[in-house]
Amino acid sequence: MTRSVRVLGRLDPNFAWDGCRIYDRSDFRPGNDLPVDLRGAAASVEGGLSSVWRLLRDPLGINKLFWAEDAEGDILVAARPYLLVEAGRRFEEIRAIPSGSVVDLLPDRPSPEEHSLVPGSWFASPESPGMEVGAIAKRIRSTLDSYLSALATTFPQAEAFVCLSGGLDSTGVAVLVREHFRNVVAVSFDLRRPGGRVSEDRRVAQRLARDLNLSLLEADATEEQLFELLDTVLREGIDWRDFNVHTGLVNAFLARAIDGSAVTGRQAIVFTGDLANEFLADYEPEQYRGTTYYRLPRLSPAALRDSLVRGLDTCHREIGVFAAWDLPVVQPYAVAVDEYLMLGDDYLRSEDRKRRLCQGIFQNLVPDYVFSRAKVRAQVGNPDTGGGVLAACVDRGIDGNWLRRRFAALHDVADPTALNQFIRAGRYHVAIPPLQGMEY
Amino acid sequence: MHTKVVEDHIETFVRNQFSVNPADPGFDREVDLFEHGYVDSVGVVELLGFLQEKFDVEIPDDDLLSEDFSSIAGIARIVLRNVGVRTESLGTT
Repeated sequence: MTRSVRVLGRLDPNFAWDGCRIYDRSDFRPGNDLPVDLRGAAASVEGGLSSVWRLLRDPLGINKLFWAEDAEGDILVAARPYLLVEAGRRFEEIRAIPSGSVVDLLPDRPSPEEHSLVPGSWFASPESPGMEVGAIAKRIRSTLDSYLSALATTFPQAEAFVCLSGGLDSTGVAVLVREHFRNVVAVSFDLRRPGGRVSEDRRVAQRLARDLNLSLLEADATEEQLFELLDTVLREGIDWRDFNVHTGLVNAFLARAIDGSAVTGRQAIVFTGDLANEFLADYEPEQYRGTTYYRLPRLSPAALRDSLVRGLDTCHREIGVFAAWDLPVVQPYAVAVDEYLMLGDDYLRSEDRKRRLCQGIFQNLVPDYVFSRAKVRAQVGNPDTGGGVLAACVDRGIDGNWLRRRFAALHDVADPTALNQFIRAGRYHVAIPPLQGMEY
Repeated sequence: MHTKVVEDHIETFVRNQFSVNPADPGFDREVDLFEHGYVDSVGVVELLGFLQEKFDVEIPDDDLLSEDFSSIAGIARIVLRNVGVRTESLGTT
């Protein structure tokens, strides 16, 4: 029986680098050296001579790869499960390639060869006393600058859109992207409210854009416009969990706005401040109408951080959602993961850990008024301007169970409890494609 | 490490962490903890944290989503299988 590997649809764009240059697709071909220094987003399926195949996912699992066998025994691979379902595969059969893995399918070997790109040091307890925070901050800054410089060299004509919430993470990305790219536009999301009230996030974004001399694209959504995008978010974000869907809705509207404004003929690249919250375990549950949302596991700060970082394997609320509008996304903080993971439990317990670290990273590039802001999330809103996306969903009855049922329906899953076998503890159900019976 | 000892520890953790009613007749070491609502998606992360701390074991992804990782007895089997196993990085498996 002759088998082959077929890719359905497009894979998400690769922006990974090796510490010096951005990887090219040819770097991931079978037979090449393992990309052991790879950081940033990458997923690839490359064939080589003698019918050898190499499948790869980056160490954080930022980009996704799913597979299933078809009726003829071919291995179908896609970046989205719904593409495999549309090709006739049952959702329950779909498996993910493990994050941080390089898998070589070799016709003359009885089983695939699997290599790990995940350093053993990532989830080991840091040695005490470890590197001082100021030194870590400097290394993060150096890594970010070098990475953005490499990106700008690779994409010199790109139009850079920076999603600007007005918080520290996105502001930090904005100030550095501005240093390296010629064409930069800041993008700010807000919900339309009665009386035209503007959120604090929007006011800060407007002020920042002025201070940084950036043009600002203001993306204002009505609730109806947001919910039009819900199915897209569920499919492209590969998720039903409420926090990720709510964030995905914000991103979907930003993507639509950017798509409508991008200059024809110039490649648009979207930059976000994502991942820093995972690296610093900087999340809090939220209360709305007496119910707690976005609950976090009760773990030590370092264990919570590790859990959140491992959970990036199943997070696609940015890259996946923007891809629906053909907009590639760069999450610059991804390449500084090694530095962030040097921060130990003691540091992660401090309330002002983000502010202190960002002061070390960005120094006087980020205005003081950003450092003094309380954390605000676009999904949540605030008491002055009313609830955000979270409130809008809850008030319409679009709760966690509703999202789960809708995701299941979109993927032809009869019993939504089957989703428990797809994602658990932030990890996909993984497997390596079998080679038994493969002939070329 | 004896299976019963491992099961004892896991059961104690689940009962205390997730406030299982001591008089619940449906709760035993073979019940599916997730399907019957004893442990939710956030709770499974807490359970993994407990297993790592108590037994110094990291549950591999393929065990995490196996049928065994649903009951106390099944989880104990997985723990015993993985105790002392270290995933080698940058190696061939």
